[in-house]
Amino acid sequence: MTRRHLDVILCSVLIVAGVLILTLDGLAQGGVETQLGSMLMPRVVASLIILFSLMIGLPSLRGILQDRPLLPTELIEAEGLDGVVIYIAIFTAYWWALPILGFLVATPAVILAVAVLLGGRSWVPILAMSLITPTIIFYGCRELIRVYLPEWSF
Amino acid sequence: MFSNIFQGFATVMSAGPLLGIVLGVCVGIVFGAIPGISAIMAIAIILPLTFYVDPIVGITMLLAVYKAGIYGGSISAILINTPGAAASFLTSLDGHALARSGKAGKALCMSLYASVTGEVLATLVLIFVAAPISLISLQAGPIEKVWLLVFAFTVVGSMTGESVPRGLLSCCVGMMFAMVGMSSLTGAVRLTFGIPDLISGFTFLPVLIGVLVMPEVIDAVRRRKAPHQDLVLKVSDDPADSRVSLREYRSVLGTIIKSSGIGTVIGALPGLGSSAAAFLAYGEAKRSSKNPEEFGKGSLHGIAAAESSNNAVCGSSMIPMLTLSIPGDDVTALLMGAFLIHGITPGPTIFYEHTDVIYAIFAGFLLVDLFLLVIARFGFPLWMRVASVPPYFIFPCVTVFAVVGAFTANQSLSDVMILMVFTLLGYGMRLVGLNPAAFIIGFILMPLLEQNLDQAVSIVGGDYLRMLASPIGWIFIGLSVLSVVSAIRSNRRGRRKAAALAAAE
Repeated sequence: MTRRHLDVILCSVLIVAGVLILTLDGLAQGGVETQLGSMLMPRVVASLIILFSLMIGLPSLRGILQDRPLLPTELIEAEGLDGVVIYIAIFTAYWWALPILGFLVATPAVILAVAVLLGGRSWVPILAMSLITPTIIFYGCRELIRVYLPEWSF
Repeated sequence: MFSNIFQGFATVMSAGPLLGIVLGVCVGIVFGAIPGISAIMAIAIILPLTFYVDPIVGITMLLAVYKAGIYGGSISAILINTPGAAASFLTSLDGHALARSGKAGKALCMSLYASVTGEVLATLVLIFVAAPISLISLQAGPIEKVWLLVFAFTVVGSMTGESVPRGLLSCCVGMMFAMVGMSSLTGAVRLTFGIPDLISGFTFLPVLIGVLVMPEVIDAVRRRKAPHQDLVLKVSDDPADSRVSLREYRSVLGTIIKSSGIGTVIGALPGLGSSAAAFLAYGEAKRSSKNPEEFGKGSLHGIAAAESSNNAVCGSSMIPMLTLSIPGDDVTALLMGAFLIHGITPGPTIFYEHTDVIYAIFAGFLLVDLFLLVIARFGFPLWMRVASVPPYFIFPCVTVFAVVGAFTANQSLSDVMILMVFTLLGYGMRLVGLNPAAFIIGFILMPLLEQNLDQAVSIVGGDYLRMLASPIGWIFIGLSVLSVVSAIRSNRRGRRKAAALAAAE
């Protein structure tokens, strides 16, 4: 996968979204009538998005079709992307677990998982950090700024 | 004006603001000193905390984080040759060369003194220039403001992206996301595609943290196998190698003043930022130096030029934001968001509607410099240790702070979901060369554009040509065209150079 492929995919998505905003009725519901209208600015911006997407996507598509040599900025290194996928999975699991397990249970596990993902193997300091940090944040938020982080729901 | 400044000092010299400044300076230096964490990340993480305090305390704390964070970047640059920010790259050339020869203390002192001098000079320019500019910009009505905002979009979009279309596309995508939810003008619910959670629109904080902060964490995850730079410090026996004498400071004062001037001018222009200032000032210092061959090999003039210019940007970048509502880069966009959250709309009227707050903030700016000088100078041993903390202690905590920051906005897990979506969007934007700063600026300024356009259309009635009848409007239209044309020409020149280099290879 190169930048050119990504450009073509992104620009296609943006052009489709832009065309939908330009053509679909019912994207604005309710509200009062004004001279400007509720959908004028979204449609102007959608037109600009289509224009700039074409300016980016067409040269990239031409580059792919004509098999032009890649510039250094057009190369996307795949190294480390497996870690990114794992990180996003951890993040998603964290969002899902927060209302069920609560902040005080879910957060130490996440800190530990991300630390291990980043290559941390100093177990005692990492464990200490994963227990102390959430506790301070949880009670600090509750007592100082009256923000109530999710709690265990069982 | 002077009475306002004295009043500002009186306001800020109380326990709350002073505590905020001390806390902000410490947080800023710590975050800045850790490689991979930038000042913007520190500000975004601290931002939710400031909702719960007085605007003067909150905003001066954020400014302290900003200034100290920019300085903190030079600590890791000097000690472990890992610049915390692009602007500190040049500091690492000379600073690390000095550190290798046992003069780390001298390099750190020079960097600190140059940073603080640059910041003070730029802050003085901000204080004395902002109010007069705001007087002029007060003449602008809704029509002129529309063209001013169009200028802001084009200048930021065309100057910040990898190419002009990419910068402008980033800005437009940000504008589109800002329009999701209930329109503040008509009350209509727009672009929600039937999702009830989107009726109130995208909350600013999760969007901001997702687009600007979290991609840096993902970058750290990608680079996790790169070897960590440990701090191995060689200390000279000669105490003179660990400090900067008055004679040495005087010898570089000319460079500092010139570089601060460059930084101030560059900072006041939207879209250029501290890296451009540092490179220009460093180049100029090298060009005018009697010993240009010393640059890159441990020159105090090199450190002074790079640091004073990139720190001068901090003060002057506030000029367009406070006087014209144009945030020139990602940090000022974020600070503008903080002002808005605190109920203060940056722009020409800020000097009349919030006189006490704005002058207290200016006074806070100067006090931050003083506190930065003292705290940074006496905390050297601690900051040196901070610079070598491994990333697996930092980024797990940043992840948690980001989630808590997003959650605090509305105490809702939907905002954590928004954070996740915008994290992916922000990282994707980086992969395809779209600019997150332009996105955020589009996101923040769009409601202002829509509001002013609505008023302007009401003023002109059906005669839309009257939109083009204002001389101030002509100036902004001209500047918009000029910024796009000059950015296209400079991009073309860059591409030709790159092609010539590739052909030569």
